[in-house]
Amino acid sequence: MKRHQYLIRKFSWALFTIAFVLVLNFFLFRVLPGDPARSGIHDPRLKKDAIEAIRVRYGLDKPVINCIAKVNPVEFGSCTVNPMETQFFIYVVNLFKGEMGISYHTNRPVSEILAEKIWNTILLIGAGQILAIILGVIFGVFAAWKARTPIDYTALLSSLLAWSLPTFWLGIILLFWGSNQGLPISGKATPGMSTMPWTDQWEDILKHMLLPTLTYTIVFMGEYMLIMRSSLLDVLSEDYILTAKAKGLSTFQILKDHALKNAMLPLVTVIAINLGFTVAGALQIETVFSWPGLGLSIFESVNRRDFPVLQGTFLLIAVSVILANLIADLTYSYLDPRVQAES
Amino acid sequence: MKSKLTIFLALLMAMSLILAACGSGSEPAPAEPSAPEEPAPAEPSAPEEPAAPAEPVMVRVGYQGSPDTLNPGAAVLSEAYIMFELVYDTMYDLNLDGTFSLNLAESAEVSDDNLVWTFHLRDATFHDGVPLTSADIVFTYDLYANTEGYPWMGDYTWYFESVEAPDDKTVVITLSEAIPNLDSQLVWLYVLPKHIWENEDAVEFENVSMIGSGQFKMVEYKQNEFVHLAANPDHPNPPKVTDVIFQTFENSDALIQAIKTGQVDMITEFPATAIDSLKEAENVEVITGAPFAPTVTDVIFNQCSAENCPEGDGICSGHPSLQDRNVRLALAHATDKQKIIDVIYLGLASPGTALLPDGLGVWYNSDLKDYVFDVALASQMLDDAGYLDTDGDGVREMPDGTNPLVYRMNWPSDSIDGPRLAELLGEMWAEVGVKVEPQAMDPDALTAACCPAFDFDVILWGWGSDPDPNLLLSVMTTDEIPTGSSETGYSNPEFDELYYAQSSEMDFETRKAMVWEMQQIVFDDVVYIIPYYDPALQAYRTDKFTGWITDQAKVELSDPSSLVVIEPVK
Repeated sequence: MKRHQYLIRKFSWALFTIAFVLVLNFFLFRVLPGDPARSGIHDPRLKKDAIEAIRVRYGLDKPVINCIAKVNPVEFGSCTVNPMETQFFIYVVNLFKGEMGISYHTNRPVSEILAEKIWNTILLIGAGQILAIILGVIFGVFAAWKARTPIDYTALLSSLLAWSLPTFWLGIILLFWGSNQGLPISGKATPGMSTMPWTDQWEDILKHMLLPTLTYTIVFMGEYMLIMRSSLLDVLSEDYILTAKAKGLSTFQILKDHALKNAMLPLVTVIAINLGFTVAGALQIETVFSWPGLGLSIFESVNRRDFPVLQGTFLLIAVSVILANLIADLTYSYLDPRVQAES
Repeated sequence: MKSKLTIFLALLMAMSLILAACGSGSEPAPAEPSAPEEPAPAEPSAPEEPAAPAEPVMVRVGYQGSPDTLNPGAAVLSEAYIMFELVYDTMYDLNLDGTFSLNLAESAEVSDDNLVWTFHLRDATFHDGVPLTSADIVFTYDLYANTEGYPWMGDYTWYFESVEAPDDKTVVITLSEAIPNLDSQLVWLYVLPKHIWENEDAVEFENVSMIGSGQFKMVEYKQNEFVHLAANPDHPNPPKVTDVIFQTFENSDALIQAIKTGQVDMITEFPATAIDSLKEAENVEVITGAPFAPTVTDVIFNQCSAENCPEGDGICSGHPSLQDRNVRLALAHATDKQKIIDVIYLGLASPGTALLPDGLGVWYNSDLKDYVFDVALASQMLDDAGYLDTDGDGVREMPDGTNPLVYRMNWPSDSIDGPRLAELLGEMWAEVGVKVEPQAMDPDALTAACCPAFDFDVILWGWGSDPDPNLLLSVMTTDEIPTGSSETGYSNPEFDELYYAQSSEMDFETRKAMVWEMQQIVFDDVVYIIPYYDPALQAYRTDKFTGWITDQAKVELSDPSSLVVIEPVK
């Protein structure tokens, strides 16, 4: 019973948060100044008819919601207008249909644009995260095991360094180094590759992935190593570890059977949260390496004030972070029986 | 036990080292000629018959933008227009020296009243094999004229009364008024295949397959990543290379690295700060000059008078001193343009004088003598006009002692030059007792403040020009004050009269004289201060392709004029 109550409560909170984000997302972008019909077009050639036609196309001629016609500046309107003819409810209904509007910049549906980019981001960040986790855990364990020796101090210093490096700076350094080695420094694939056999295509993609993944791994490996090390040191100071030592178990056995599982808990939480932000992509890395993912599309959309794309991306990120947190909560409650008992 | 873990970790570290070494030592794929020391295998010596090279000869071009859409009616970015120029044909072509030549038509005649133009078409075929006939041209021009959602096309087709096709090879355009610059309107009307476009929505059609009749055809398009075009061998004037690939680089460091390491063969832009490192790079040649689409950077003074303040929309909060020509002239004398050019463009731009940039060739009034940079003269002018610093705080006031000469100076937050220009102008004008409050603004917010609200003092902005001067000149007319195109609120009946006269003047010399006089008028009235005309900065590798057109007045290596004639270095 307790478990069910816990799960239901967590799910309801997640749903409520998503609904709140939905509404906030909508109003946030309408509060911003600027007329999308003229965004970027500082040009006397844009006639009044063209501006009006663009407005109608994006549904901007409709009232925002019942009782409020415009949000910036606030203008009140009719409260009795059909809700289905207001921007807000059209937005909500479209979301349930999977449509997120049309990009101001390219006239393409936002859901199409995001669907293309999201896989590129997941590929890059997924590879980076997995490598960072593996390496971070291994080096973190090693450092904690050899605590207070020169190996530990080196590991500590290098992980701090790695984690504190500005991502874009590291990316540019690797870009200069990599380009002199003949590695590709932009994009996901060499143009013209799509006609080649898929083994060649994947080799090409992996080559393009090398530098951005390396950047990502170095930065996050530092974080995971530090967390792993400190969490393991904490666990190693517990009484039951002392008991295990007294029983005559070797250090390796202690680590493997007793310490690691408990030390992983904080790391699981951090990983889950980081994975939630995966969808945002590593914005800096994607920009430095021109990797066509969600992070880059955020960067470009901000520059061009392409609000529908930004709105869609923000929603995606918010939902994925909320879900990731939910999963982190649930996983934690399975891994650590104490959490559930308290609630 | 201990040793097992040590061995495992050692193996892991060895693996990562091997992986890193693999990455650095790898040979580039045959399609990517990026190793500078060995000849790229994909580019053999040019074959004897240039019409059908056996192996692909690819030109890689790097740039920082990307087309917004491949729909010629809906597109607004210059990168999209680069693609349209290569894939489509138009009635006229714009050459790099500013002249127009017939492209789709072999000959053209005009009636005595200059209202009816008849074009006789040459043979042309679309990339899917369907012949191009006058029906396609009629369909295309009507589409551009009648589609409301097309931002710019309505303007180019403004004077079209009707477009008819008496037979397959003849097009007759009847104008509502006689205009001297029909060629500069037709040059942007890319001819679309009727059999494809008649089934699509004019604005929503993404046109990814881009079927045209030009010298290149579309192979693959990945938005914000690359555009891959192939040569069209059936064109009367086919290219010598087989493929052109435009690759998007989101940041300029990657772009510069790419040309230095040979990952691209040409770049169409780069920041001025990179010029020294590019000049030192091996096998890279840098070229600067007037851009194909000339631009002018301007310092805009809000001089809208109370009578001209637009009703309803107009706030008109400009500083009253700016309506006095003496003040504007003094500020012009206090501006050291050469220093601005040296700081912002490392000396590479040309000093601005006339409203029309020097890239407009014959239309540019080259007789104008710029305002002399003379701080003492500027101070004297302000003193004589009555703007004295009565309270000794270093800032002058109006002649009646109120309203110190403190100007809000704004620029769009996405402008690269804006902050430096504002800083320099602030320093220079402070020398003559004028204080500046610099503030970057979001471009949309800036548009809202600028025009037709006129809620600003000084704005740093710019215009992109058409090859025809009409567009830039229209910005200074009284009629454009309420529409939001006039940023200054300048109103001069003499100028207005000349504008309407030149827009329908058929004789070239007469029209040119009028355009020159108009530039003189706004120069004398100091409506804008024009610090410089932005230069085009491009670079190409000398060890890959030869034949780049670099000796013309304008620089644009991505234009068909270069891409069609270049061939591999032997």
